[in-house]
Formats: sequence, structure tokens, C-alpha cells
Amino acid sequence: MSENDPYSSAVRRLFADTAHAGRLAGGRSVRLDRQGVRIALWMTLDGTRIEALRYQAWGCPHLIAASEAFCRDYEGRPVSELGGFNAQSLMQSLGIPVEKTGRILVLEDAVRSLGT
Amino acid sequence: MSERTVYLDYAATTPVAPKVAELMTRLLTSGSDFANPSAVHPAGRRAQALVATAAGQLADLLNCDPQQLIWTSGATESNNLAIIGAARYRQKRGRHLVSMPSEHKAVRDVLRALERDGFELTWLAPDESGRLNPESLKNALREDTQLVSIMAVNNETGVVQDIEQLGQLCRDADVLFHVDAAQAVGKLPLDLAAMPVDLLSLTAHKFYGPKGIGALYINERPGCHIEPLFFGGGQQRRRRPGTLPVPMIAALGCAAELAKGRIPADLKHLESLRDQLWQGIRNLDGLRLNGDPEHSFPGILNVSVDDVEGESLLLAMEPVCVATGSACNSQDREPSMVLRSMGRSDAAAQSAIRFSYGRQTRSADIEFAVGHYIQAVERLRALAPGQAA
Repeated sequence: MSENDPYSSAVRRLFADTAHAGRLAGGRSVRLDRQGVRIALWMTLDGTRIEALRYQAWGCPHLIAASEAFCRDYEGRPVSELGGFNAQSLMQSLGIPVEKTGRILVLEDAVRSLGT
Repeated sequence: MSERTVYLDYAATTPVAPKVAELMTRLLTSGSDFANPSAVHPAGRRAQALVATAAGQLADLLNCDPQQLIWTSGATESNNLAIIGAARYRQKRGRHLVSMPSEHKAVRDVLRALERDGFELTWLAPDESGRLNPESLKNALREDTQLVSIMAVNNETGVVQDIEQLGQLCRDADVLFHVDAAQAVGKLPLDLAAMPVDLLSLTAHKFYGPKGIGALYINERPGCHIEPLFFGGGQQRRRRPGTLPVPMIAALGCAAELAKGRIPADLKHLESLRDQLWQGIRNLDGLRLNGDPEHSFPGILNVSVDDVEGESLLLAMEPVCVATGSACNSQDREPSMVLRSMGRSDAAAQSAIRFSYGRQTRSADIEFAVGHYIQAVERLRALAPGQAA
């Protein structure tokens, strides 16, 4: 991320390749509309393992990149791990600025809600 | 090799015209034109002659007297000097000031600073096309009103105000009229000898000059004076002291001379680009023009679309360089104050994109931008969950 570029290379890469954008038929879903952003998550399970994740998001590039990163990271993992999803560590790994915390916390709420 | 970019952000800043850059380079490297123009020796007199030439070139563009011009660092300083300087000069007569919420921050924030110092502000909202109804101004003027500040061309929407009519209302009421003309000078014909304008701010980098140099026009009719903001030298009749940056001033003069000869051709070029751009995007679902098609500078086109977030749109459109809100404000993701004051919703203001183009923009650039804009809007709409019922 250069001094004038508000986006890290990770955010740019994820925003450009939103492979997990979309919806899934069946399974669980959650939708949140707050903090000026909208996010919806879909999940199918294979037993207790997450088979597939998809998202739709209306918001800034950081939110879209974070949603994509979450889906990539959690497919194949036990559904019980969703409760441990942490917005702060994702923000740190993607270089998301602190002023975007509120928006990424909406994603965190959506992920935790999906896991319950 | 750098990636192709299409620069459509001329309202933020323009490239320096080659002839202007050549002149600056020559003056910076000549070894004989570096003197302080306040000095009375031959080298100083040569520098002073360059300053006088530039003042003549700018005065010729504006149709005013060169003595009515003060050099500044740009429009922000000119706005500060005009508004604070005039308000302080006239404060014994009254402390009421009038402006619009759709002004540039360099005007709004100056006025808010004066408000904290005890001045009273009246903010006049534009209509939904961005224009100020002269009747609103007439009704807002009071016995104690001292200054009205209205911009000539809005930096976000390109909307052109009726400066003649608004200025005449002020003149009739013995109120000073300041115009932030940063987006108008060198782009639209301005005849200050015929216009009821008392103070006018401009900057070189909006019309193919360098950044860091601007000017303030002061009418100097009775009652039209400013108190200085800076102290420490006798330059510019003590109104704006400091050693004059001769190469920058000469560059501004050169840019003004170039502009004067090109305004009709530039406008024709911009109208053609605007029409091509508008025809290319106008059929997009949920698209709305932010501005007044009848009273707009053709070098700016501002549009909103339903259900798309502006910051993501900006990134999705790369390598097309456009702006959301004003570029000076681009790190601030609050919805545009200009568009909000025109009655646009937060969502519409958030999705607004300002296309601004100029002399070097070609039809192929517009075609490229149209394709990227439509593609980005469609992609982001597909990414978004529908609106809640």
C-alpha cells in the first residue's frame, strides 16, 4: 500500500477477484443492513464442515475484500470455528484502515450469526 | 511500462501546458532571471518586468486593470484573503455574511471560522439543479450584510451561477460580492469590467498552469478593501506581503494568455466530449444527472446511479481516473455536501461520480471511460444484496 493508495495489494487483489460473490441454494443464510453497509452470507454444510460460502455486499472495497477473504478462508473448516471469526485480525492481515472498523464489524456480526 | 490510465479529473487539476512548462523551466534555469522583483537593481527590474507582463496577461483575460490583481498561492488562499480580509475590513458596518452550502470547502470553512469569531452566517440552499434563485439572495440581504460569496462554476457539478444577476443584487444593496472562480477562469469568458464582482479568486492549476500560484482580483471601488492576513513586507501594497515567485507568476500569465485565445475552441471540444459521454451512459438504469443541463460548464459531468457505492465504483473503474465528491475531499467518505444541498439522498450522493475532461482528452478516452463505468456499475450491482423490503 503506497502512501497515497488507500488499498493494500491484498485488498486490491480480493476486490478484483470476487470468486465467492453470489448466493447458494439451501443451507443457512444471514443478512445484515447497518452502519451504511449491506451484507448477506450463505453457507452449505457437509456434516459439521463448511462445504461452501458465498456473499453479497454493498459497501466500500474493504468490506467486499474482507467478505471475499472470509469465504476463501473458511470453506472446508468446521462450522464451530465461525464463532472465532475476528474482524480485527482480518483487518490487520488485509491492511484495512482503522476508520473502516465499523463496517468490518458488521461482517463479523454476520459471520457469528451464521455460525449460531 | 506504466498501465494505461485515462485521466478524467481535470476539475481537480489540469496538466501544465507545454508552453507554460517551457517558460517556467527557462526562468528557473536561465541564471539571469532569478532576482527578487522588489530589488531596484537591473536584475530585480528584469524580474519585476516579468511580473508586470504576467499581470497584464491575466488582466487581459479578465478584462480588468493589472493593479486590481494580487498574487497568492492559489484559490484557497485567495478565498481566505478575500472573505476574512473583507469581513474584517467592514465589520464595523455589520457582521452578517451570506453564502451557499454548495460552495467549496475553501469558502465554507473560512466562513465557519468567521462564525466562530462572532459573524452571523446565512446559508442559501440551491434548487435541485444546483442553481441559486436570485430571489432567495434578495430576501437574505439585510442592513448589516457585508459580504456575499458565491462560486461561478461548481467544482463538483459544473453548475454555473448567474453571477451578473446575483452580483447586481449585492451592488444595489452596497454589499461586497466575492466569487470563487477557480473553475471558471480560463475556461469561460469573464469580463470583470462589466460584471458587478468585487472580489474574485482564481488559481493557475485549473487552467493548465502550475500548482502553487493564484490570484485575487479586488475591484477597489469605494468600500471594497481587504485587511491583510499576512504581515512582514511591503510587497503588493502590504495586502499580501512576501517575495514574489516570479517563474510561477510568469507561468500563470502565460497560461492566461493561452486560455484567452483558446476558450471558444476549448468549449467546443468539451461540449463534444460531454455529449459523447452523456449519450454513452444515459440509458443506464437508475442514472441521474447531478446538475443543470442548461447552465453548466461542459467540462464537468456528475452522475449518480441507484444501488452502487461510490468508493467501490471509483476503484472498479480504474484505470479511469475520476472523482467522487471533490478531489480535495476524496479521503473524506462523507456524502458530498454539494449534492446533499441539492436535495440528493445520502445514497445518491455516495454513488456520485464526477467526470471532468480537458484539452488533452480524446474521444477514445471517453469511449474507454463509458465502457468501464457501465461495466463497473453492473458488476457492483451484481455483488450487492437487494434493498431490504
